[in-house]
Parts: sequence; structure tokens; C-alpha cells
Amino acid sequence: MSIPALKINNLRKVYRRGTVAVEELSLTIAEGEFFGFLGPNGAGKSTTIHCVTGIAEPSAGTIEIFGLDSVKDYREARRLVGLCPQEFNVDPFATPRQIVDWMGGYFGMPARLRKERIDMLMEKFDLVAHQKKQFRELSGGLKRRVVLARALVHDPQLIILDEPTAGVDVELRRVLWRYLAEINKDGKTILLTSHYLEEVERLCRQIAIVAKGRIARLGSKEEIAGGPGGLEQAYLVATGAEADHVAGQ
Amino acid sequence: MQAKPPLGTNWIGLHTMVRREVSRMMRVPIQAFIAPWISALLFIFIFGFVVGGRITHIGGHRYLEFVLPGIVMMNVVNAAFLQSSSAIYFSRFIKFIEETLVAPLSYAEMIAGSLSVVVLRASVTGIGIMLMGVGFGATHVESWPLFLFWMVSVSAVFGLLGIIVGLWSKSFEQLNMPVVFFLTPLSMVGGTFNTVEMLPEWLRWLAWANPFFYFINGIRGSMIGFDETPPGLGIGLTLLSLLVLGLTVWRLYAKGYGLRE
Repeated sequence: MSIPALKINNLRKVYRRGTVAVEELSLTIAEGEFFGFLGPNGAGKSTTIHCVTGIAEPSAGTIEIFGLDSVKDYREARRLVGLCPQEFNVDPFATPRQIVDWMGGYFGMPARLRKERIDMLMEKFDLVAHQKKQFRELSGGLKRRVVLARALVHDPQLIILDEPTAGVDVELRRVLWRYLAEINKDGKTILLTSHYLEEVERLCRQIAIVAKGRIARLGSKEEIAGGPGGLEQAYLVATGAEADHVAGQ
Repeated sequence: MQAKPPLGTNWIGLHTMVRREVSRMMRVPIQAFIAPWISALLFIFIFGFVVGGRITHIGGHRYLEFVLPGIVMMNVVNAAFLQSSSAIYFSRFIKFIEETLVAPLSYAEMIAGSLSVVVLRASVTGIGIMLMGVGFGATHVESWPLFLFWMVSVSAVFGLLGIIVGLWSKSFEQLNMPVVFFLTPLSMVGGTFNTVEMLPEWLRWLAWANPFFYFINGIRGSMIGFDETPPGLGIGLTLLSLLVLGLTVWRLYAKGYGLRE
């Protein structure tokens, strides 16, 4: 059996002020999987992603990335992961080219390889005309493209996309879908969070629904979205929002 | 998945940290270099031509010669502290510090990357002022190895202190507090403008208890050969400070203090 791309065991995250963001969360994502990670705002999706990528410190539990412990072997584990975060955590005065180039550099990519990858990504995400502007001058959609390019520059094996299409136009969304499907076909593992259920249904083969820091439902797309009402109904039931939803109608 | 070779020192990552910080620093050249050089020129004018002529020699040196090493050191300290504290705080505030947290960089590489630029900025500032002094015939360097030792080691000490303050601060107000309450007062009374002998006897202990006194005397010794401290004491204290602060910063990084959620 091959080593899973991501294995989370009993993850718990409690913030300093006592807020329990994630509780006993366990999941395994096989290599090459396209995994949808759904849940309402504040459910613990971003916290889980932050624990996986090193932005947050897990309070308990273990995280393995391709068999590497994300705390003990953090350097080896991190070079296998690319993160496109929900927020624009970028130097606003830097240019898109600098931002992507610096990230490639942090991952130890030599200059020539960086240039090739950056040229390809600038082309792919239609950033060539904007690559020398300051990040703060770009529109929301262009900013999103820059952080996507930054996540992909080092050609990671596990790509984590935290709401990558929030606030982007239909055109980019389709470009991104095509690109993600393409790289997933080439063997990259993708973990995607999104509030667009049709996006998850279109791209993902496995789905987890998180509510109040715990996994409420986990299974294949067919298992979860195959019932009456489809993925939306399954989501509302799993997150406990069904009653409110019905009452609101 | 193909296995990747084990990681040694991430030299490209380290070099990238330096490139990024240099690029950030070069966005504000007036703040980084021109402002301290102009303020040093004003000091040279006042102490060399306005006040200096009316003050008798100190330790066989003209007053400007005596004061200039202290001015160099004050600016080195300020440049080092401001560079590191603002870089860390700004990157935490905007959250782009996460770029380095998700990357395969060791804590030592992250610290070394920040400190290299600190030393660069502080040294360019300090050497610029020293060269102005040489241009006005107000100073010279007696021992280059010692001069460079003081420049680099004191920059690193205050760079490390700046990192601690940058990690601790939760607002711009807190970030500026150490400059207002510690750095400026201690450097002013740290022997820049006077010798210990010029102080009343009951106040001399304050000079000996002030770390700036050793830094200022050290660089003064390397420039004009006038040093009031026992030989080796300043160097020893500086190396000890580097060790203690270096270990503290490394520990803070390892614990994720101010860095990780």
C-alpha cells in the first residue's frame, strides 16, 4: 500500500484564549486524490490547513505528509506542500514576479529553474502584463492569481487550496479548474476548500464535511452527493444547518 | 512520489531571505541611510565647529574626534534595531511571514537571513559616518579588525534584540517603546559625549552598568585608540550578549512565539 499524501490523526487545536478550533480530527488523503474539504465559516478548515503547513502549532495529534512528521521532519515535509491561503499574506509593495520568485527561492529552487516556472505560471494565469506592478495595485482576481502561482512555483506534490476561487471571475475559475484537473491527472494530490459546492462536486473524488472542529461526514463524492438533494442537502444535514435552512424557506 | 534528497543548509533560501530584505530596505533609502548621515553631518558641524572649539582636548584628542565614534555607534545601534524590529513586525502585521513559515527553512536560516541584512544596513550606515569623519579630518581607524568586530557584533546584538521586540510587539506603539525608553537614553549617557572621569563620582557606577558604554568605548578604541574600559571586558560582554540573545531568539523561533498561531 502506498504512503498517504496526508494523514491527520486526532488533531486538536486550542487557541491561546481557549477557543477549541479543531477537535479529534482524523483523515487520510491518498496520493493522487482530489479531496474536497467543506464546512461553514469557523468550522476549523483553515485551522487544520494551518496546522498542516506550519502556520499554526497543533495542540495535540499528529500530521504526516507523505509519511514525514510535519513537526519533527518539518523541513522535509514542507517542501512537498504548496499552500494557496484564503488571505492575501503577501508583501503589498512587492511585484507578482518578486513574490513568486521569492517563494521559489525559499524552497531552494535554483535561479534558472525559478525563471522557467515563473514564466510558465505568469503565462498560465495571465499575469504577464501585471508582473511588474505592485501587488497592492492589482484587482482582487489578479491578487488571487498571484497567490495561486506562488503556491505552485516549486511544483509541490500536495497542493492545498483554501478557497482559491473566492472573489474571482468565471473565466479564471474555469482556467483554474482546467489546470487543477490537469495537474491532478499528472499525479498531484489536491486538498481544496470551497464554499462553491458545484466546484467541489465537479473536481473532487473524496469529500469531508467539517462542523464545529470535527469531521461530520467523510466519503466518496458518490456516497455523499448521491442521495436526494445532492451535495447541498448532505452538507446542510452534516453541518446541522438543515433545520435553519428549512425554517428560512 | 519520487523521493527527494535530504536537505542540507538551504543556501538558496537563505540568499532569497537576504534578497527580499535588501529589496524592502532599498524602498526606503532616505529613511535607511540618508537620514542618519544627515544627522551625523549636523553632529560633526556642531561638535566640530560650533561647540568643539570651546572644549579642551579629552585624552589628547579634539572633542569632535572623541565624540565621533559614539555617533557612529549610536547610528549603528539604531539602524540595526530598526531594521530587524520593523522587518519582523511588518511581516507579522501583513502576515507575509507565513511565506517563510511554510517553506523548508530552518530556524537558524531564518534568523541568519534577517541578521545578515541588519549587519549590512548598520555597517553601511556606520562606515558612511566614519568616512564623513575621515573626510573632515576628524577621525581615522587605528585597528580595522577591531573596528569591523564592533560594527558587526554590535549590529548583531541589536538585530537580535530587534527580533525579540518585533516578535513581542502587538502594536506600532509597543514597537517604538524600547527606542524611546532604552536605546536613545542609554546611548546618550553611554559615554558618547563625555568620559567617566567627567561624571560626578557618585554617578560613575551608572556608566559602568550601561552596556552602551562598552560598545562606544570599544569602537572609540578601534578608531582613535582611546578606551576607558579594561582590555577584553567589552569584547567578552559583547560575545556573551550575542550568545544569550542568539539562543533566546532561536528558542522563540522554535516555540513559534509571535510567529505561529
